[in-house]
Amino acid sequence: MRGELSPGAKVAIYGLMSVLLIPFVFPTWWMITSSVKPISDIFAFPPDLIPRRVDFSTYAKVFELQPFARQYWNSAYIAAVVTAGTMLFSSMAGYAFARIRFPFANALFMVVLLGLLIPSEVTIVPLFQMFLAWDMINTHWPLILVPIFGAPSVFATFVMRQFFIALPAELEEAARVDGLGRFKIFWTIALPLARPALAAVGIFTFLHSWNLYLEPIVFLSSPEMFTLPQALTQYTDAYGGAMWNIQLAAATLTAVPVLIVFIIAQKQFVEGLAHTGLKG
Amino acid sequence: MASVTLSKLRKSYGRMDVIHGVDVEIADGEFVVLVGPSGCGKSTLLRMIAGLESITGGEVLIGDRVVNDLEPKDRDIAMVFQNYALYPHMTVAANMGFSLEHRGTPKAEIAKRVKWAAEILGLDEMLERYPRQLSGGQRQRVAMGRAIVRDPQVFLFDEPLSNLDAKLRVVMRGEIKSLHQRLKTTTVYVTHDQVEAMTMADKIVVLNGGRVEQIGAPLELYDRPANKFVAGFIGSPAMNFIPGQITASGFAADGALLPLPEAAHDLPPRPMLYGIRPEHFALTSEGLAATVELVEPMGSETQVTMRLGGTPVIGAFRERVRAEPGETIRVRPEIASVHLFDSDSGKRAN
Repeated sequence: MRGELSPGAKVAIYGLMSVLLIPFVFPTWWMITSSVKPISDIFAFPPDLIPRRVDFSTYAKVFELQPFARQYWNSAYIAAVVTAGTMLFSSMAGYAFARIRFPFANALFMVVLLGLLIPSEVTIVPLFQMFLAWDMINTHWPLILVPIFGAPSVFATFVMRQFFIALPAELEEAARVDGLGRFKIFWTIALPLARPALAAVGIFTFLHSWNLYLEPIVFLSSPEMFTLPQALTQYTDAYGGAMWNIQLAAATLTAVPVLIVFIIAQKQFVEGLAHTGLKG
Repeated sequence: MASVTLSKLRKSYGRMDVIHGVDVEIADGEFVVLVGPSGCGKSTLLRMIAGLESITGGEVLIGDRVVNDLEPKDRDIAMVFQNYALYPHMTVAANMGFSLEHRGTPKAEIAKRVKWAAEILGLDEMLERYPRQLSGGQRQRVAMGRAIVRDPQVFLFDEPLSNLDAKLRVVMRGEIKSLHQRLKTTTVYVTHDQVEAMTMADKIVVLNGGRVEQIGAPLELYDRPANKFVAGFIGSPAMNFIPGQITASGFAADGALLPLPEAAHDLPPRPMLYGIRPEHFALTSEGLAATVELVEPMGSETQVTMRLGGTPVIGAFRERVRAEPGETIRVRPEIASVHLFDSDSGKRAN
């Protein structure tokens, strides 16, 4: 067949690809293998790529030292609520900005986009004061409300708007002739067709919420309220030194849902990126 | 079924007027084609009937009802779009039954109506397929099916065949026409293709720049165009226009004296356009001398671009013309088919 590579070229290309893969695969490999090594083996030199001694007790300790299952649940339900809420609000807002002609729509959209330019660190103190006034400190409300109405949602709204702009207007006109009102057109025609964009938004939002670190350490103070990124920092010994193997075991457990979500939604995710013209 | 009346209909976008007071009467059960060049306002007019564009002035009546302020769903119309506008995430059956489902029609009735429409359009085997699994012609049929299951008072077609290849267009043209003959539903059909207009319409409305140029039966427009625009738009290849002046001995053009119909001799001598369709030239041994510039054999006819005096014209002959460029042939215009238009206004003079 034309364009088929010779065996030598194939070997060279696969060799090069394998080398390029190292920076991406090595940290994950190091995390997983170190999670089952005794702490002294982690710092052995030269380093062992394959653990010489395997000790799974680190995984048990992850749950003994902290209410890790509870923290796992905290992260999972917060990420789920934030993802669902962001998908709902951003799809409605994106649709409105793309499809409904109202005065100053474009100017308003620009104002909304400005939200992306403000670093979350800048707003954290006023947000803390606001949630303190609302008696929501050491609750999960800030971790749910800030992403749904903050920068991640603005980004999601932008993605959804770009998708809805590209949706043929004739589909909506056909739906109008078929007797549908504005909300039904959104719900039964536009939204089902926006599945790839919604999947991309869902994954981005889930990852953002799952990895959220600054907000939890500011708003939460008791271990049973912690989320996973914050919990990971708590595996220290009496002198404040990190218990690396236990911490890496917890990190491995933390990475699992993200990998599962990505593997399940990989196709939709890539389609979504293609649809929205965004790069990963 | 119902009549459709457009009365002094106007449409403006800001200060720009695009439809300038259009009056059209469409009888109950009639197949009317709105035709005109791109940007003439034909699709805008159709969308105003559908309720997809607001009306700046005048009235749209469907039956006896003024529908200006009614939503599309309340006008009892069905529309077939240029790009089909099928819902990609629904099967053929779901697409066809969608509006009925939304209106609360019982499921059994929906199934019956979808089956009936699918049988008419030959879609029985495709009801469970998705639009992406269909060819262009099949999608067009589904779009038509979606319209007919509703049994509306009026069908609106917006250039439905323009995305199909030439062969399929001819097939679908016949299907739409026979569907109309079967259902007898009032139909308004928009196209820029004058062949579609001629072959399908009971009545043609020729539009230009947001104004009606002429309304009439296809052959009426072909035989007696009201002005130069209609004469040039209807018919392919287009009518030849030869500038000149009426004289006692005939029509004096640049380097040629053309024969005139008897009645035209009474017209006052003033600058005119002599209109003659390519197919109304005949090859003779003692007609007007014409210098051949290009010969295009089409099989059924031969088109010859030639120079009659100083004016280039096209002739379409049933005979096989074997002349070479530069040669002289002799042609004669059929006097009964000569059209005269005022040079300034473009209006018909004979």
